[in-house]
Amino acid sequence: MEIRLDGISLDLGGKHILDNVSFAVRDGEFLSLLGQSGAGKSTTLKVIAGLLYQDAGAVFFDGQQVDEVPTHRRQTAIVFQDIRLFPNMDVAANVAFPLKMQGVKKAERMAVAEEMLERVQLAGYGSRAVGELSGGQQQRVALARALAGRPRALLLDEPFSGLDEALRAEMRELVLELQAETGITSIMVTHDVSEALVMSDRIVYLSDGRVEQVAEPGELCLNPASPAVARAFGEAMVVEGEVSDGAFRCGKLRIPAPDAASGRAAFVRLSDGSHFVRGI
Amino acid sequence: MSRRKPARVLPRAFLALHLLLVAVPILVMVMWSFTASWPWPSLIPEAFSLKGYAEVFGGANGAAVLAQSVGIALATAVLTTTVAALGSRALARYHFRGKELFRFATVLPFLIPTTVFAMGVQVVFLKMGFARTVGGVILAHSIVALPYAVTIMADVTAAAGGRLEEAARSLGARPLQNLVHVILPQLAPGILSSISMSYILSFSQYFLTLLIGGGMVKTFALEMFPYLTGGDRTIASAYGVVFLVVTFAVFLLVEWALKKFGFRAGQDLFNLQ
Repeated sequence: MEIRLDGISLDLGGKHILDNVSFAVRDGEFLSLLGQSGAGKSTTLKVIAGLLYQDAGAVFFDGQQVDEVPTHRRQTAIVFQDIRLFPNMDVAANVAFPLKMQGVKKAERMAVAEEMLERVQLAGYGSRAVGELSGGQQQRVALARALAGRPRALLLDEPFSGLDEALRAEMRELVLELQAETGITSIMVTHDVSEALVMSDRIVYLSDGRVEQVAEPGELCLNPASPAVARAFGEAMVVEGEVSDGAFRCGKLRIPAPDAASGRAAFVRLSDGSHFVRGI
Repeated sequence: MSRRKPARVLPRAFLALHLLLVAVPILVMVMWSFTASWPWPSLIPEAFSLKGYAEVFGGANGAAVLAQSVGIALATAVLTTTVAALGSRALARYHFRGKELFRFATVLPFLIPTTVFAMGVQVVFLKMGFARTVGGVILAHSIVALPYAVTIMADVTAAAGGRLEEAARSLGARPLQNLVHVILPQLAPGILSSISMSYILSFSQYFLTLLIGGGMVKTFALEMFPYLTGGDRTIASAYGVVFLVVTFAVFLLVEWALKKFGFRAGQDLFNLQ
């Protein structure tokens, strides 16, 4: 599904949270909303899901204006930072929840739940209580639950920030794998620059409720369009990846490196903006 | 490890004392309810009889009065808890004019003694035709129970927050589905406490029932009262035992019903295992 935001503005408690935010997400794209805390990223996500209503502007799904459509009919499933599984249901019932809401018969939705759990490597966990699972497992259940109802878009609100570093890498891979498999249009909110760089097809950089730049990861990294974006990349950064065919690659980050030898390499960006790729 | 830490002895001592203070009077009451004669200084009754229970359930309308009492108490509990749940949600979620006044008004019956406001309620109910009706008694009982119910429900509503509701909405739950599958289960412990509390307040209400019911609406507490003051301990104790058993039975029923509908996942109020 293609999603387009057109001039979204929103005030909350007398503060401008979003100021004329416009961007479009292509069908099947993985787009990240990047920015510091308070930039309006999560608010933007809630406006798309219909959990918050904008003061000005419009949201379009596949060209259809959806501002009058309530959240439960927008088919935009959210994976939250704080997970939000239903404690009164077991793992399988959680995953099957969207299907139950759609009126799918029990046998059928339980079969789908079992299949979804398999895809997030939790086969056989269906009858467990939610509280028995570790944080990483719970977030995988939340991911399975979000995808079980075949939503038109997947919205991820800082989905990995509650997890430790090792789990985060694993979850990123899983999310990208499922996203590639299902081809679902996805929007992820994150404040983690390298996370956005390696996962996204494109990145929307938000600062103080405004869109500063919309670009592919490599472009954003090498040519920040405004001082705010440059500041975000101001600190030195190292990304490990591989060089092949004259370009450095890590996940979806691609940076031209015609001189570097193929093989394991690191992309290094210094605080003065200069960068290089070196084999490791 | 046989050595007990003092930190655990003290709570246990309190628990034992607490149980003793509750259990001993109940035991004495149960014994009295079966007693035919228990002269001083005998340690246990000399003769037993079932005349107390015959008095409670015998007569023309013993069982009917009990049934009506339970009915009034249950209706009060459901009405009060429903109103309290809705009011608490309004207080927790919405901003409206006079919200703080509304919040204060919910606990107002705490501040005014029952005997005081009962007079006013009676006058109003007489004018409206509610006096001397079962409906009027239920309404009057609800006024007494409401502040307790609101206090309980406001707490659980605030604690539940809106996080799971948001998640459910984004997953396609319509408002009614959200209520049944997500909101009510979250509030279930509070609902159980609120129903139990309101039930007890209604079931044991004497003065308000007498005044509003005007003697036309008979309840268990009204029937029991003359025996408590009149000095027939056997009949009064029999009433007491039936009172206790019925109340416990209703609590277990409510607990069972909430569990049956999948509303309670956590710990039980009464551990039956």
